[in-house]
Amino acid sequence: MNTVPEYRELTDLQKLNEMKQELEAGFSTVLRHYQAGILHRPERIRQALEEQDAERVAMESHSLKSVCRQVGLMPMGELAAQLETMGASGCLDQAEPLIEQLIASSVQGNHELNHFCNGTTLPRPFFEKGD
Amino acid sequence: MARILIIDDDEPFRVHLGVLLRNAGHMVLEVECAIHALDKITLDPSPFDLLITDIFMPQMDGFELLSTLLRHHPRIRVIAMSGGGTGMTPHLALNVARKLGADALISKPFQPGEVIRMVERALQTTPT
Repeated sequence: MNTVPEYRELTDLQKLNEMKQELEAGFSTVLRHYQAGILHRPERIRQALEEQDAERVAMESHSLKSVCRQVGLMPMGELAAQLETMGASGCLDQAEPLIEQLIASSVQGNHELNHFCNGTTLPRPFFEKGD
Repeated sequence: MARILIIDDDEPFRVHLGVLLRNAGHMVLEVECAIHALDKITLDPSPFDLLITDIFMPQMDGFELLSTLLRHHPRIRVIAMSGGGTGMTPHLALNVARKLGADALISKPFQPGEVIRMVERALQTTPT
């Protein structure tokens, strides 16, 4: 029997609401800058992995980790932290599946941030499987 | 109103802190690397009342920036900021920054209200 996976939001909405209150009119601009990082950094990490450049994997993952945690994308931040540790240790053997997860999370996370920014409700489930 | 220089290689953080501190009434300049920051301060250290610097950055990290800067400009006030990295926890990285002379420490992810309070407190202290 196919089951539809339960949809779990990646974003901590409370954190985003606090940020919105603090930044007032500047919120959308700031969030767009974070979103650009969330969308583009995973691909840069993948390129660094393809080139077996562990130092760059660590540096790019470090940046992504901080960006994700700041906007409340905690699970994605944890993936980036694991990649940062791998990069810093120079051992990238287990990195590829994490990067695939990171890329999928970046699409979902960005989608959630767009909906928050536009003040719209997220259609649920966003990525149903098994229909 | 204070004049504040923000140093962070990550653009979203520079923009975020810039908006936050401008909303609080400060004049803010943002640079993406420690070398650019040192260049600006070497040319004329007087325009800045306070620096807020990230720790883990390429080329020159915040530790090196702090030790170089405070050797030549010991009266400048500095807030160090980090989410940890390259095997160092945020706590450890910020403790090292404190030993190097940082006046205050911000852990990433930061709470905007906490940053504002820390900046106000740092600006009230008399540089030694």
